Amino acid sequence: MNIDYSQELPVIEGRITLADIDRLIAKPLDEKPDRKFFIALSITLTLLLIGAISVTYLFFNGTGVWGLNQPVGWAFDITNFVFWVGIGHAGTLISAVLYLLRQKWRTGIARFAEAMTIFAVMCAGIFPIIHTGRPWLAGYLTPYPNQHGLWVNFTSPLVWDVFAVSTYFTVSLVFWYVGLIPDFGVLRDRTASKLKKVIYSVFSLGWRNSHRNWQHYEKAYMLLAGFATPLVLSVHTIVSFDFAVSIIPGWHTTIFPPYFVAGAIFSGFAMVVTVLIFVRKVFDLQEIITLNHLEKMNKIILVTGSMVGYAYGMEFFIAWYSGNPFEQFVFINRAFGPYAWAYWIMVSCNVIIPQLFWFKKIRRTIPAMLVIVIFVNVGMWFERFVITVTSLHRDFLPSSWGYFIPTIVDIGTLIGSFGLFFTLVLLFTKTLPVVAMSEIKAVAEGAQPSHHGGDH
Amino acid sequence: MSTNKLFGITALFNTPDELVHAAAKVNELGYKNYDVHTPYPLHGMDSVMKLKPSKLGYITLSFGLSGAAFALLFMYWAMSLDYPMIIGGKPFFALPAFVPITFEVTVLFATLATVIGMLAFYFKFPSNSHPLHDTPYMKAVSGDKYGVCIEADDKIFDSEKVKALFNELHAKEISEVFYPAIEVANIFEPKFITLLVLIGLLTSGATYVTLNKLIYMTPFDWMMNQNKVNAQSKSLFYADGFGMRKPVDGTVARNFIPYEYKGLAAPVVPLSNPLTPTNEVLNLGKKRFLTFCSPCHGNFGDGDSRLRGQFPNPPSLHSEKVRGWLDGNIYHVIVNGQNVMPSYSSQLSRDERWAVIHYIRALQKAKNASPLEILEAKKETSSNVAP
Amino acid sequence: MSHHDLVYQKKNLPESLKRLGSILVVVGLVLGVAGFIFDAQRALFDYLLAYVFIMSIAVGSLFLIALEYLAGADWSTPIRRIPEFLSSLIPILFILVIPLLLNLRSIFEWSHPDVTSHDKILSGKSPYLNTTFFIIRTLVTVGIWSLFYFLFIGNSRKQDISKDQLLTKKNNKLSAAFMPIFAITITISAIDWMMSLEPHWFSTIFGIYFFAGSFVAALAAITLATVLLKEKGHLHPRMNNEHLFSLGALQFTFINFWAYIAFSQFMLIWYANLPEETFWFIGRWGGYWSYISLGLIFIHFLVPYAVLLTQPAKMDPKRLKFISIWILFAHVLDLYWLIMPQVHSAKAGALTILFEFGFIIAALGGIILVFYFNAKKQNLVPVGDPKLEKGLNFRL
Repeated sequence: MNIDYSQELPVIEGRITLADIDRLIAKPLDEKPDRKFFIALSITLTLLLIGAISVTYLFFNGTGVWGLNQPVGWAFDITNFVFWVGIGHAGTLISAVLYLLRQKWRTGIARFAEAMTIFAVMCAGIFPIIHTGRPWLAGYLTPYPNQHGLWVNFTSPLVWDVFAVSTYFTVSLVFWYVGLIPDFGVLRDRTASKLKKVIYSVFSLGWRNSHRNWQHYEKAYMLLAGFATPLVLSVHTIVSFDFAVSIIPGWHTTIFPPYFVAGAIFSGFAMVVTVLIFVRKVFDLQEIITLNHLEKMNKIILVTGSMVGYAYGMEFFIAWYSGNPFEQFVFINRAFGPYAWAYWIMVSCNVIIPQLFWFKKIRRTIPAMLVIVIFVNVGMWFERFVITVTSLHRDFLPSSWGYFIPTIVDIGTLIGSFGLFFTLVLLFTKTLPVVAMSEIKAVAEGAQPSHHGGDH
Repeated sequence: MSTNKLFGITALFNTPDELVHAAAKVNELGYKNYDVHTPYPLHGMDSVMKLKPSKLGYITLSFGLSGAAFALLFMYWAMSLDYPMIIGGKPFFALPAFVPITFEVTVLFATLATVIGMLAFYFKFPSNSHPLHDTPYMKAVSGDKYGVCIEADDKIFDSEKVKALFNELHAKEISEVFYPAIEVANIFEPKFITLLVLIGLLTSGATYVTLNKLIYMTPFDWMMNQNKVNAQSKSLFYADGFGMRKPVDGTVARNFIPYEYKGLAAPVVPLSNPLTPTNEVLNLGKKRFLTFCSPCHGNFGDGDSRLRGQFPNPPSLHSEKVRGWLDGNIYHVIVNGQNVMPSYSSQLSRDERWAVIHYIRALQKAKNASPLEILEAKKETSSNVAP
Repeated sequence: MSHHDLVYQKKNLPESLKRLGSILVVVGLVLGVAGFIFDAQRALFDYLLAYVFIMSIAVGSLFLIALEYLAGADWSTPIRRIPEFLSSLIPILFILVIPLLLNLRSIFEWSHPDVTSHDKILSGKSPYLNTTFFIIRTLVTVGIWSLFYFLFIGNSRKQDISKDQLLTKKNNKLSAAFMPIFAITITISAIDWMMSLEPHWFSTIFGIYFFAGSFVAALAAITLATVLLKEKGHLHPRMNNEHLFSLGALQFTFINFWAYIAFSQFMLIWYANLPEETFWFIGRWGGYWSYISLGLIFIHFLVPYAVLLTQPAKMDPKRLKFISIWILFAHVLDLYWLIMPQVHSAKAGALTILFEFGFIIAALGGIILVFYFNAKKQNLVPVGDPKLEKGLNFRL
């Protein structure tokens, strides 16, 4: 296939009118959910229930019900936390970074990706809160003037986490909501139901599509994007600091911040592709979420996957180069020790399998990419598992070496977090427009004035 | 419901090009209070309408900087002034470790200020009572039409002229928009009252249950009920049935130095007082003497018990025998006890015992001084007194 | 305005540029050689600094070219010749590296077998850090870069005449292949030429740190050339200030990226406080080095950050000119901070500072000359590129 490089690729496929866009995107909200939706919802709710039971059991009995031991005092909880925070990075990246890079193709997927960010951060937030087994004690992590006369330790990476994740959640939510305001206006003006009209009116805040508002709105959107971009980097950087400021070999290495960020983008895009493949099919959005979009995301998966591969390589090389016997042991132990199986799952899913995306054909074939991105999801979960558990299970003192085996409660909690995530995704598709209507309309063919009016 | 007061006149167009043309014309004619409404932002419209660049960035900048300053100053105050603590060998003001939180707070302040500033300050939102709401015009411009509205409070507004202008611009639809009638909600409506009562009941009920029941239930009860053996509880595990265990034989407590002449009549090697009789030491000795020794020995060591015969009186500490004792002998008696006097080793620490001995020596000196010594002491004290 | 005014016409660069370049080269070399006579070891490090500076500009430019193809960007197409000219320094590296390769023993501690044999850590590293393998690595990395340089530039030049879209496609594929190779080669160069100056020290992020600094320096050089050439009317007449925006924005982004990487490296080492890592930073804190270390925060981050923060600032030619020169200086300072603390020379004093920057001055002159001769032979705009029209139409 030969591309004409002098032409710009259309963002939306086919000639689709503005009214069609509104109708297509608002359709899931106008119709009553069908049988398939309820079947899907009952599956995700079951998963969520498994999680709820596991967590309740945990609260009654304490963290002893997990497979934690000495020396592995951190396992599934932190693994799941980092995994979900990582997934939560793609949304802001798509909406903010691609916005700043003026990538118009982001419009079709930005809303959905942002929603996934928020849900993923919610899933992530569960784990630090429950990991003490006493979630109501998490309040002590906030700096407030208390009867002990004490402040939280502002030099602790765990407190940084609290600030980073809560800021990230707030800003993502605000960013998402700001994007939704004009769409609430559209829905308010479209709907025939009286109740829906009240709800949409409240959330639209009285949006009037005025250009005097659009001017500030676009400015605000750009400023938010400008802040969200370093924010998204900072969050996973701080998550990486949780490990890297320590002196444990395998955790303490300077490449961790950019390596974690690359990994987060990698896993986040994989999850977005996984979900979008179904969404575009189920909601008939193939013209708005096109194969080109998926291909571009697959390219980003390839790039970030290779960055992660670079980091694996660098870690190994420098472990040897450092001449530090502890460093060297940890990495040899990772690749050939008791957890070698996890390490090689990680390497093959994250580095080797995504290399298939070098082929254009695979990048554009739905079943192939689905398989690959699911492998990536699995691989990225194992990456966090490998980092956490293999560095801990054989520490400086051979007499305390151990092996971590998850219990059924560990696994139930992980399953529950998936249940929560997909339940929220399903509810989202039925309550809010999954694609930003006003943004899509703005990039439709003929939507902009033909000559670039004014004094250019 | 609407009143007869005119808000403005609106015109709809089918294409963005027509709207750009119309907006340019309206602006050229000198209208100030007009607005264009589009389903999405049109590029280049700012310059057509001659809008000044948005000043929103200044809000962002000022709040971002104040967020950074606030976070840094607060952490400086909390970690270096209010409760300084050395953590991980870092200085109190560990700047690199404060960077992450400073950054997060900066972003939080800046973004929230930007959004709230835009919505509240620039848009005056929420405002669901604007005259344009619920008009067919608004429905069209939030779908796929492009509209311009000239408001009636414009200085040069003239209904006929505006309509003529819109006709001339080939508007697809021209309509007048009136102010809506103000609706007054009746707060004494039974439904509303019922709702309030229900909310009140629910809140008070939930508060009652939480404060009186919930926090005493597992797992919220701060581990009040635990499956473990307490010191005072009965144990089925140990043969003797006690939950409490004795330490293993030969266990020595931390910082405890055993007294090597325990049980002997006198120390084999004479012990000497390691403390210097400074003011502090004598004061400590006095305090301990009055607490532990004076009930039997009397306030000045005369053997005049304050217990009025409830316990045999001890001999005076001013006897030749005791005055002739070495410090180590007195120490030995305090630790070992003598006759009916029990050991005071658990009441007095080592330093306290020696301090008490100093105090006893001072008492002995005071009670048994020769006239010459009194004279000398008086001389010394009087020479210290200012004339 | 007639149609004729809006078509690119090649103009030759002024002779004065050639004169300026030659003077800088001569003056710089005289100073450098004088420095060599005064203190040979220090002068070698000065030369290494200049070599790495040229390398970073050249390879950073090649990276920008590959990035444009890979991302399908069109804003940079009208100015792509500028990074192309700058990356023509790559083959010259083969000649420039010779004095260094001949004097490895005066630069690198690990090149002394008598030292390494007594040091357990260094002898452990000797399979990597040995003279033979070092020279092979250097030649291979420069060779790979040169290969890509000739392929990219060859296709780009051919397109001026043939206007063949297939050439763009070829370069697209090349750029995809280039990226992983670039990541590996630049890391190797950073470890070899800078990190191994202190062979006991190690940091996994070091390659990325060097990349961040080099790319921002290359961007600064490209921006400076673009603004100057545009002012003098050497570029396409349809270019306006909005075309500068992306250059400003990229500089801003990578200034932040550099700061992010630098902070991450410092923070983790400072926090963990392991002696085998901290000594490297402590060595950059003694004496006047603390001023340079702190100065880097201001010069390499805060000042460019503040200057480029707003949107209008990112396309203001005056500001861009100023900040590009500033960033180039900051990059030299950064490299100075990386390289010079490793000099263990007995001679020091006022005279050293006189000779210190001789080779850097010569390097600047050399870059100007290379640019001049390239511009003499070729169009300053890739007139045959299919993306040119889109690039010229670029608006914010």
